[in-house]
Amino acid sequence: MLLRLPPSLHYPITVTSLLKQPGDAVERDEALFWYIYQTTVEEGDGLGNRVDVKRKFPTRFESTVDGEIVQWKIAKGDVITGPVDVVEIDEPCAHEVQFGGLCAECGKDMTEATYNTEVMDSYRAPIQMAHDNTTLTVSEKEATRVEEDAKRRLLASRRLSLVVDLDQTIIHATVDPTVGEWKEDKDNPNYEALKGVRQFQLIDDGPGMRGCWYYIKLRPGLEDFLQNVAELYELHIYTMGTRAYAQNIADIIDPTRKLFGDRILSRDESGSLTAKNLQRLFPVDTKMVVIIDDRGDVWRWSPNLIKVSPYDFFVGIGDINSSFLPKKQDIGETNKAVKAVKEKEKEKHAKQEQANGEAAKAGAENDVSALEQLVTMGGGDNPSLLKEQANAQEETIMHQVEDRPLLQKQKELDAEDDASADGSESSSSVEESQEAAKQRHHLLEDHDKELFQLQDRLERVHLAFFDEYDKKRSHALGGRVATLRGEKATHKDKDVDLKLVPDIKDIMPLFKRSVLGGVVMVFSGVLPLGTDTQNADISLWAKSFGVVISSKINARTTHLVAGRNRTAKVREATRYPNVKIVTTQWLLDSLVSWRHLDEDPYLLPVHPDDRGEPLSPGSLELAESTWLSSSDEATGSLWADDEGNEEMFKSSGLDDTSVPGYDEDEQALVHDELKEFLGSDDESESDSEAYGEETNEGSKKRKRGEGTEGVRDEETGEEEGDENDPQGSRLSQRIKRSYERSTGLREVATATGSISGPSGPHGDEADATKAGTTDDQDDGYPEDPDDDDDALEREMLAAFEDDDPQAEEEAAAENG
Amino acid sequence: MFFLKEETKIISLHPSYFGPNMRDYLVTRLNEEEEGRCTGDHFVICVMDMVDIGEGRVIPSSGNAEYTIKYRAIIWKPFRGETVDAVVTSVKPTGIFTLAGPLSVFIARKNIPGDIKWEPNTVPPQYTDHADQVIEKGTSLRLKILGVKPDVAAINAIGTIKEDYLG
Repeated sequence: MLLRLPPSLHYPITVTSLLKQPGDAVERDEALFWYIYQTTVEEGDGLGNRVDVKRKFPTRFESTVDGEIVQWKIAKGDVITGPVDVVEIDEPCAHEVQFGGLCAECGKDMTEATYNTEVMDSYRAPIQMAHDNTTLTVSEKEATRVEEDAKRRLLASRRLSLVVDLDQTIIHATVDPTVGEWKEDKDNPNYEALKGVRQFQLIDDGPGMRGCWYYIKLRPGLEDFLQNVAELYELHIYTMGTRAYAQNIADIIDPTRKLFGDRILSRDESGSLTAKNLQRLFPVDTKMVVIIDDRGDVWRWSPNLIKVSPYDFFVGIGDINSSFLPKKQDIGETNKAVKAVKEKEKEKHAKQEQANGEAAKAGAENDVSALEQLVTMGGGDNPSLLKEQANAQEETIMHQVEDRPLLQKQKELDAEDDASADGSESSSSVEESQEAAKQRHHLLEDHDKELFQLQDRLERVHLAFFDEYDKKRSHALGGRVATLRGEKATHKDKDVDLKLVPDIKDIMPLFKRSVLGGVVMVFSGVLPLGTDTQNADISLWAKSFGVVISSKINARTTHLVAGRNRTAKVREATRYPNVKIVTTQWLLDSLVSWRHLDEDPYLLPVHPDDRGEPLSPGSLELAESTWLSSSDEATGSLWADDEGNEEMFKSSGLDDTSVPGYDEDEQALVHDELKEFLGSDDESESDSEAYGEETNEGSKKRKRGEGTEGVRDEETGEEEGDENDPQGSRLSQRIKRSYERSTGLREVATATGSISGPSGPHGDEADATKAGTTDDQDDGYPEDPDDDDDALEREMLAAFEDDDPQAEEEAAAENG
Repeated sequence: MFFLKEETKIISLHPSYFGPNMRDYLVTRLNEEEEGRCTGDHFVICVMDMVDIGEGRVIPSSGNAEYTIKYRAIIWKPFRGETVDAVVTSVKPTGIFTLAGPLSVFIARKNIPGDIKWEPNTVPPQYTDHADQVIEKGTSLRLKILGVKPDVAAINAIGTIKEDYLG
């Protein structure tokens, strides 16, 4: 080790003599050399006067480490003006592996500190490497060595590492005792479904949960999945459950420990209760690691991650170990999935029992509250709240044990069944309800195909990785054949060349991007209001597949993902022939199966009232058939001259490479650019004319504007997000609305400060104008009596925004 | 090394235990609380007998009685250089984790004889010299303690099997 002078010495110093020769042994705190330094001191001259005098003081420099001197880097008489290397000391032990504050190799205490200590010895080994132990730490060098060994071994056996999450990824667990009762009860409608459920009891799992029984449902096909995947991957468990929990699960899914060995990391060792960190397992590099997890946020959407759809067998239970995690964003998503399944089911049994379907729906709706409840209990991720959260988790579990959400749900369902049976036929109500209940055993249903797809994906990644590796290697080998020595080297490490290992982090995103590349989508009714559309879980997930998320519909939009029917955006989208209106399920299924699925089965049935807008061809089917050509034309003609808009897109963080964060500066930039863009548009006409045009057009395209306004309103407060009212009452409503708006102008401006805000009305108008020029459908609108109001309001709004961008920025800052 | 040590402990007793079986109850309490305890310096292995129970004193305001008990116990204080028998709990590329009774001892790779190599491909993973010596989970080892570090309620130790008659 090279000993360096600390910066705290009184430089310049002059070396006066070296006390040790190369080969001498030194101990810690033993003097190495003498030096003198000069400083000014205050001295008394014996007469009461104080004088500043320059003095030289001799001092010793002491070694901070044990060892043997190898070489001096300084000589007698040297004047040193700053920190330099002084001497090389060969340490008998570099303390690279430490265990509980001791060096594991020499047994010295690493935590001792003296006056001479600059860096604690314990910092020499900062990395935790063992899965199941936090007291063992290693140095970077040692970690690299161990990891390289592992990599060599994996490459030789042509495998990668796979980090597997437990809860809701490969299993689903609950503590609801109802499950136990149902399991025993042969007559229970859920008996069949519960056959494969395993259970275990954790005795000492924290106070309050003594002897809690855990019920574990394995994801369908898990055994085969693990067997097959283990041939391609070395498996690791990384869970947010406790150690005991993880061990028990491992006993269930891998009783012989052939698959996982003891590569199990639980939250006891994770070091963080809110996030998972790949560096904890693979401190040096993660080139060969793939993760599967049902939550992307805990991994901070690591590029190594394959997100799987959560496995939700015990409906409404969620993840029992996620109380510590930040609130799950995509509640809607999971519920949608459940609901969709239910709805499919409903269609299947549609003939038989309408009531049953309704019941299922009711159950699904009930999920929302249960899940939300669970989730809100989780709360934020403030470390200071951890204790509270531990209690919260306890509570959650107690809650589950006491409340038995499953039982409640089943009861509810039965009640509904009863009711419906009574209503239709009062005679054999009991029988029928039982029958219905039997049909209904899909409260707990089990047709999850995720693992089969997952296996396929993992195989693809594995293949891609080793293709790349082989390519690189054969390339390198070809170069080496030229030199004999090179050939020898290759013989030495036959199969393995660590430098050539490609990076999963490059391969997988490339893979994924190609899946939905070129898709520009808009969400409608998918995310709760006020969510950042760019940073929501589902958006991030979609983005990792190359999707561009935009907040409003324009000519570039290719898909509208609608969570429910009849939103304003759906209505607007019908006017664009190239926009496919699909259900959330399409997106989820595409993301899950890594394929750009055919949209046809997922098309959202658009309500006839919502269509009819002249921009779109009469029916959606027609739009489908003409889609290819028209979209090509539209995008070609519309976007050739739209550099400004294009740039606006980029700067507003809408392309997939940029960081989703959207700060004030960017917003301001967007705003400026937008203005510029609009300005250039208006250049041909005089200002007044431009405004006149605008108001004129505003009145003409009243109805068209309606759609975009609806969008805006949806963002402000969803007062009219669901415009399900019949056409007739619309007019009066609109009048009312316009009044409201002109009085609450300030408020509206504030609201437009949200993500889509700055580009709000301007962007719409620009788009609308464009749309107007391509397909001329501007005429033929009936004049509405409230047109003037609306136009006036528009003008005011525009003027307000032009005058006062400052206020808007403030508003934006407030909003997000 | 094992010692017979005399120690004192204060036990406070709730009034509901006042009665003829008080003494038995104190013994049970003492055994429960002391045996297996790690002070950070040593492990209390077994409470031998009570030398003196002393007089119980009722504490004003709570009504509990406080007994200062003197007792003898067998304790184990691990020393550097001590040779102990231990059972392997897990093996890692960096070394072997063992338990010598209550004491967890880690043996680093450098303190394992050079001919015994890490072998990750077996199930479970093991250290082996590819002959008759196999170290895996559950194997008994004789090791020498290289260093001991007391902690708040635990003791960590480092061991070696790289000497004669160890392994």
